Amino acid sequence: MDQPKNKRYGMVIDLDKCTGCGACMVACMAENNIPFRDDDTDKLLSVSWMHVYRLSNGKPFPHAEECFLPRPCQHCEGEHGHSPCVSVCPATATDYDMHTGIVSQIYTRCFGCRYCMAACPYHVRQFNWWDPVWPEGMERALNPDVSVRMRGVVEKCSFCYSRYQTALNRAYLEGRRELSEEEYQTACTQACPAGAIVFGDLNNPAHRVHQIVKPDLAHGGRPRNPKVFRLLERLGTHPKVYYLTRRDWVRRAGDNEIQKT
Amino acid sequence: MEEPKSSAPSSRSESETDEKGDGAGAAIILFFILGLAASLLVGWIAFPALLYSEKRQPVDFNHALHNEIVDHGCASCHFFREDGSFSGAPKLAQCIECHREANSDDPEEIRFVEEYVKPGREVPWLVYARQPDCVFFSHAAHVRMGGIDCAVCHGPIGESTSLKPYQVNRITGYSRDIWGWNIAGIKRNTWDRMKMDDCAECHAQARVPGGSVQTQKDGCFVCHK
Amino acid sequence: MKIDRRSFLAFVFGGAAGTALSPLPWKLTDDISIWTQNWPWTPVPPKGETTYVASTCTLCPGGCGIRVRRVEDRVVKIEGRSDHPVNRGGICPLGAAGVQLLYSPWRVRQPLKKVDGRFVPVSWDQAIGEIAGELRELREAGAPEAVAWIAETDRGTTAELIRRFLTVYGSPNFIRTPSAQDAWETALYLTQGQRATAGFDLERVSFLLSLGSGLLEGWGAPPFVFRACGALQDRNGRFVQLEPRLSKTAAKAHQWLPLQPGTEGTLAFGLIHVILKEGLERKPFVATRTAGLEDLKRNALREAFAPEAVAQATGLEAKTVVELARAFAAAERPLAVCGRGAGRVPGGLQETLAVHFLNALVGSVNVEGGVIAVPEPEYIRWPEPEMDAVASQGMQTPRVDGAGSERYPLARYLLNRLPEALLQGEKPAVRILFVSGGNPLYSLPDSERTAKAFSRIPLLVSLSPFLDETAAAAHYVLPAPTYLERWEDVPGAAGFPKPLIGLVRPVVAPRLATMPTGDVVIRLAQRLGGTLRAAFPWESHEVCLRQTLAAAWEPLRKNGFVLDESFRPQPFETASRKFEFGNAELKPLAEFRPHPAPGDPGVFKLTLVPYDSLRLTAALGTPPFLVKALESEILWKNDIRVEIHPQTARDLGLADGADARLITPRGEARVKLYLTEGIRPGLVGMARGLGRGAHDRYLAGKGASANRLLAAVEDSSGFEAGWGIRARLERA
Repeated sequence: MDQPKNKRYGMVIDLDKCTGCGACMVACMAENNIPFRDDDTDKLLSVSWMHVYRLSNGKPFPHAEECFLPRPCQHCEGEHGHSPCVSVCPATATDYDMHTGIVSQIYTRCFGCRYCMAACPYHVRQFNWWDPVWPEGMERALNPDVSVRMRGVVEKCSFCYSRYQTALNRAYLEGRRELSEEEYQTACTQACPAGAIVFGDLNNPAHRVHQIVKPDLAHGGRPRNPKVFRLLERLGTHPKVYYLTRRDWVRRAGDNEIQKT
Repeated sequence: MEEPKSSAPSSRSESETDEKGDGAGAAIILFFILGLAASLLVGWIAFPALLYSEKRQPVDFNHALHNEIVDHGCASCHFFREDGSFSGAPKLAQCIECHREANSDDPEEIRFVEEYVKPGREVPWLVYARQPDCVFFSHAAHVRMGGIDCAVCHGPIGESTSLKPYQVNRITGYSRDIWGWNIAGIKRNTWDRMKMDDCAECHAQARVPGGSVQTQKDGCFVCHK
Repeated sequence: MKIDRRSFLAFVFGGAAGTALSPLPWKLTDDISIWTQNWPWTPVPPKGETTYVASTCTLCPGGCGIRVRRVEDRVVKIEGRSDHPVNRGGICPLGAAGVQLLYSPWRVRQPLKKVDGRFVPVSWDQAIGEIAGELRELREAGAPEAVAWIAETDRGTTAELIRRFLTVYGSPNFIRTPSAQDAWETALYLTQGQRATAGFDLERVSFLLSLGSGLLEGWGAPPFVFRACGALQDRNGRFVQLEPRLSKTAAKAHQWLPLQPGTEGTLAFGLIHVILKEGLERKPFVATRTAGLEDLKRNALREAFAPEAVAQATGLEAKTVVELARAFAAAERPLAVCGRGAGRVPGGLQETLAVHFLNALVGSVNVEGGVIAVPEPEYIRWPEPEMDAVASQGMQTPRVDGAGSERYPLARYLLNRLPEALLQGEKPAVRILFVSGGNPLYSLPDSERTAKAFSRIPLLVSLSPFLDETAAAAHYVLPAPTYLERWEDVPGAAGFPKPLIGLVRPVVAPRLATMPTGDVVIRLAQRLGGTLRAAFPWESHEVCLRQTLAAAWEPLRKNGFVLDESFRPQPFETASRKFEFGNAELKPLAEFRPHPAPGDPGVFKLTLVPYDSLRLTAALGTPPFLVKALESEILWKNDIRVEIHPQTARDLGLADGADARLITPRGEARVKLYLTEGIRPGLVGMARGLGRGAHDRYLAGKGASANRLLAAVEDSSGFEAGWGIRARLERA
C-alpha cells in the first residue's frame, strides 16, 4: 500500500506575541473534553493538556519582566521515537508514531501506574485522581471525537489527533492522502487570538513551522534559527514544540538546568 | 483362571476385587469423562446461552427489499457526509422521504409508521458493529481509499430479508457480532468477527505500513481516539 | 459403584480439561478485560452529524464572529470565524467557554417571582401580567418617570425597543451600562462635534502609547487588539505601557513605565507640555485642521505640567517624560489610548480629553492609524410613535441619574449616579426598575451602598439568563435566552475602526422557558394597550428585526455580518469644522483636576488598585473552564491573592502566601498575599471578578469582590472616575 511521506508534526510558539490570555487552554478544554472540578487551583492536580506558565526575569522593580509560556505535550522524538514516556510505559498505552511524530495515549490501555509522569521532564502528563463529573446538562457540550477519560488513567495533549482524523476523513473522501497545512491545525493554534502559535509539518519546507524553526533534522530537529529554542534541550528528548523569542532571559529560562551545572 | 472351580466366595471376592480394581479405574475414567463432558457442555452450550441476552430490533427491516428499489446500493441510505464522516444507520428523516405514509399493508411497515414516523421518534436501531468509544474507525479510509466492499466487514446483510436477533454480551454490553457468533472465535468469513485482532490481521495482510515505535505495527492512534 | 475421593478428583480433572478445551476461560478473560474498560458512569458523548453555524459573540462588546460547532442538536464548541474582520479566526478564552453558559444547570428555567423572600416559579403570562399591572398603576398615578431600565447597550433593535417603550410610557430613564466609551464618545463630541464611538486603527499604528489600558486584558475586542499588538511587533513598532503594575499588557509592551496610579492624565498633559514647548506637534495638521490651540497651551504649559512637576506626581523620571514625548511625537503613526484595564469604567472625562488632545497634536485623529469617529450604523428607521399627555409630561422630567441636567450637561447615561439618586428622599425616585444587562449589584463600586440603594426600589425586574447578584435581589426574574438561542443585531464592535453590523442567530432551539428582552418589551406594551400597543406593531422581536433591517437582512443572514469597507473618516462637525482644543463647552473642563484615591492616607497607608483579567468576567458569571484556567497567583483554594511588592510585605511583616485582612474605608476582605516585583511598592493589586454571591458552584463563594472595597468617585461631568482606594493590610 502506498503510504504518504512521514510527517513530523510540530509547533512553534512565539513567546513575544503570547499574551498569556488562556484562550489556548480553554479551546483545548472544549475540544478535548477536559474535566473540571470544584477546586482546580492546585495545578499539580488539575488536568489541563495545555498550561500557560508565567516566567519572570527575577529582577527587582521596576526592571521586572514577565513572559507567558504555553506548554502542550512536547511530543518528544527522543532517539528514533524513544521519547521518555514511551520508553517506560509497561502497558504499551503510549506510543510514538513515526508517520506523524505524535505521541499517543490510549486511555483504555493505561492502568495508571504513572511511570510516564515520572519520566516526562515537562509535566505534560496528568493523572485522573477523580471521576470526571459534569454538572447536569453540561455533558451535552462533550465532543464525540475525543474519548472521555475515566478515573485512574493518565492523559495528555495529543496535538488534537481527532482533528487530524477528521481532516483525513475529508481528504480520503476526496481521494487524497495528503493534507494541506491549514486542513490540520490544533484547537489551540486556531483559537490563539494573538496568532502566537504556528503548527504544521517540520519535515515540509513549505510549512511555516519549518520556515520559522529551520530544523536540523539530522540532529533531532535542533533549531537553526537562533531565536528559536526548545525546553531542556540538553536532555536530548528532541521535543517538537519550539519557542520563539527575542529575549535572552526567556531563552535561558527555557533551559535553566544548564545554569545549575 | 487356572482354577475355575474355586470357591464361590473366594471367586466372588476375587471378582469383587477385580471388579473393584477394574471398576475403580473405570469409575475414574467415567468420572473424568463425566467431568469433561459436563464442562464441555457448560463451556460450549450453557456458557454462550447464558453469556448473551437477546434483543429484538425495534423494526424488522428488510434489506433485500429496499436494496432492489434504491439506485445506489448500500450508499443510498448509508452514505458519506460532506466532511468525510459516515452516516451509519439512517435517521428517521431519511426514512420519511419514502415512508411518510405506509406504502404497503405490511404490518411491520404500518407499525413503523405509527410508532416512529407519526410521532417523529427516532428509531433506536441496535447497531451490530457498535465498537467501544475508544475506537476510531474511518469508513472513508477503508471504503474510498482501500476500496473495500461493505460486505467484507458487514457481511451479506444487504441480502437479508429480516434482521437477525441482536445478542448482547451480558458482561461487556457489546453485540455478539464483535466476537463473532462462533463462541470459539473461529471465523470463516472476514465479516464474522470485529475484534481488534481482526483489524490488525487485515492491516497486516494489506501491508499497511506501521509507524509504531512500540510494536512496529500501526500506531495506536490510527484506530483509537 | 461408590463415589470416593478419587472419582471426585477425576470429575474435577475432567471438568478442568473440558473447561480448558471449551471457549469459556478464554472468552471470559476477554470479556472481563473489556468489562474493566467500561465505566458506565463516565459519559460517552453521542456521535452524529457535525455542522457549523456562523454567529456573533455578545459576551463582551467586542463583536467577534464565531463559528459554532454542533453535533446533531448539541453545541460542542465555539471557534473564531477566520473570515471575520474583527477577530480573523482568533477567540478569547471567554468566547471559547461560551458553551458552558448555554448548558449551565444554574440558568433560570422559568419566570420567578419573589414571595416572602423566596423565588417561586410562575408562568410567563402571570409574570408579564403582574408587571404590566404595576406599570399601569404607576402610569395612572401620573408618575411614569419613576420607571427606569438598565440595558447593556444603547445600540441595536433591542435597545431601541426598550427606549421606545420608555418614551411612549413616559420615562426618560433609559440607562446604558457604563464603559470607557462614555468618556470617549463625549470627548469626540466636544472636540469634533461628532456623535460617534471611538474606533482605534491599531493595525496601522507605529507607536502605541497606552495610559493604563489593559490592551491585552479585555480592552476593546480582544482578538483584534491582540493581533494588532503582535503586528506592531512584527513591524518593529513601539509599544509603551504606563501602568502601576506589571500587567499582562505591561509584560508584553516594549517598555513598562510604572507610574503612580491615577496620574495618567497628569502624564498626558506632561507629554503635551513637552511637545508644545519643543514645537514637536504635527504642524500641517495642527495648523490646518485644528482650532483653539491657545486654550490648550494656556493650560498645558503651566508649571504644573513641566517635566519635573510631572515626574514628581507620576513617580517617573523627568528625563523619561521628555524622551517619551519626543519619541511619541517623532513616530510615524503615533497613537495614545486610555480607559483603564478592560475599559469597563469610564474614567475621568478630563483624562480622556488629555489623551485625545495628545493624539490631535500628533495628527492622529480621524486618519489611518489614529482615533477614528465611527458613526453608528443607521438602519433603525421606525415611525415616530404617538405619545399621550402622560408620556409627554413624563418625558419632560429630568433623568433620575442626572445625565443631561444642568449639572451634568455632557453625560448621556450615569448609572454610577443611580445609587445616590435612589438613596435620597423619603420615597426612591425609581419605583420600577428593569435590568437587562450589566448586573449592577455586582459591577458597580461600593457594593454595600449599591445594594442598599437598590433595595429601596419597590419593584426590581431582572431579565438575565442567570441568577446573578442583581437577579437574586429582584422581585421578578424573567429569564432571557443566551446568545446561542436567539436573534440579535450587534451594531459595531468595541474599538473597531469601521462600521460593522453583526448578527446573532439561534444555534439551538431555546433550552428553557426563556424570552428575549425585545419580546418582553413587546408583550408588556401589548398588555398595557393604548399608545403603547400602537407603538409596537410587531408580533415578535424577530419579526421586528427582519423588517427593520429590510434590505440588509438577507446579506446579514447569509454572511453573518455587514462591513462598510469603503468607510472613510468623516469631516469634523464643530462650528469651526476643525478639531477644537478649546470651545465654550470645553471651557469648564480646561483646568485639569486629578482624582485622588478616597480615604485618609494617615490611616490607610497603602492604595488598592483593581485590575482586570481575561480569565474573569465583570458582570456575567465566569464559566467553569475559565475558573479552572485561573492562575494560582490569583485564586488559591477559596482565597483571592492580592499582589504586593516584597518591600511592602517586609514593612508589614507579612510573607508570601500569608493570610491577611484587606481593609478600605468601604469594607474589608480576607485575602492571601502574592509577592511580586511587578507592582509599585505601596500598592495592593486585586483582580476584579471574584467574590460572587450567586452563580454556579465553581465560582460562587470564591475570593472577594474588589467592588465591595471600592468607593464611587465622580468627576465634574458625572462619570465614574475611580481607579483605586486607600487601603491597609493586617495579618489575619
